[in-house]
Amino acid sequence: MAQSHLLPPTMRVFERGWLSSNNILFITPHATALVDSGYCTHAAQTVALVAHALDGQRLDRLINTHLHSDHCGGNAALQAAHDCRTTIPANEAAAVRDWDADALSFAATGQQCPRFGFTDTLQAGDALQLGDLSWQVLGAPGHDPHALVLYCEEARLLISSDALWENGFGVIFPELDGASGFTETRATLELIAGLDIGLVIPGHGAPFVDVRGALARARSRIDYLAADPVRNAQNAVKVLLKFLLLERQQIPLAQVPQLLSGIRLFREANRRFLHLPEAALAAWAVAQLRRVGAAQSDGIMLNNAD
Amino acid sequence: MRLSPAFDPATHQGRLPSPCISHCVMAQDSGLCAGCQRTIDEIVAWGGASEADRRSIWQAILLRRRDAAESP
Repeated sequence: MAQSHLLPPTMRVFERGWLSSNNILFITPHATALVDSGYCTHAAQTVALVAHALDGQRLDRLINTHLHSDHCGGNAALQAAHDCRTTIPANEAAAVRDWDADALSFAATGQQCPRFGFTDTLQAGDALQLGDLSWQVLGAPGHDPHALVLYCEEARLLISSDALWENGFGVIFPELDGASGFTETRATLELIAGLDIGLVIPGHGAPFVDVRGALARARSRIDYLAADPVRNAQNAVKVLLKFLLLERQQIPLAQVPQLLSGIRLFREANRRFLHLPEAALAAWAVAQLRRVGAAQSDGIMLNNAD
Repeated sequence: MRLSPAFDPATHQGRLPSPCISHCVMAQDSGLCAGCQRTIDEIVAWGGASEADRRSIWQAILLRRRDAAESP
């Protein structure tokens, strides 16, 4: 069943795919806001979707749940179109101000993001008014140490970003760098479990109502990953390759090892956990994507598939 | 989403999948998304659409894909 009847009339969800995060638009006669802006190669369509839904209104405010390229890649284009107030997680403020490539995630993941600025910040404990509803800002570390989720108690809504999907959650990136992420992921899931939620609007995939089921699957998944960190590293390598493939749609097979070797987190995942020659790890990742139907190949090109 | 040849929006059981295949670029000539063959209006409407409306959108997509495949 579509869950659209559970959304307040002031909220619109643009369900994007996996390269771009979903975009959540709030529209009232006196204020408009967008949560997350998708990937940069889709930015023109994101701007068009927002303009179509706003029907002549200006976008007043842009908010990012976290600063991964698939959630903030449309920021620069939306700012150019609307000169909108832009709100980012407080812990990322210095990195964005200086556009610090080592502190931001884009270079480390081999992904692109046009430079953008910000006007203010959000942190856990803050309160927001969006779509004539009151929202609490909650910290949701794990997938990203600075990630936030937004909770509306009165409408029983959670904007969960990549902290909880209908089936799982985003790659636990901090562990690849030798930092902690499993413990934080568990704590974030327990935080969500303590909320009264009627509908989750995830960062990817359709909004869903079975929160208990999603939490059960997510807990099972974190148990599986934390039991052997090699699994998280393997998953990350597959996700990094799938992202490249979604971005480019096709890649010459011969270029895959070189592309992956250029990605810092690919090298770190290998150095800490997988210990394979880089070409062998690249070949493994290609085989894994083909095995599950996420890629196809004629032996020359690797093509995206779903 | 790329579909099995058996996919039929008229008889599909359960929630209809989003047509998005993560290739979200509007084609200048057709006014359709180059990835999913939806109009901007259909992409915006999807999140708030009923299952009946989603079925109609899917049927329109499949017709457009068939027309595109048949045109020279």
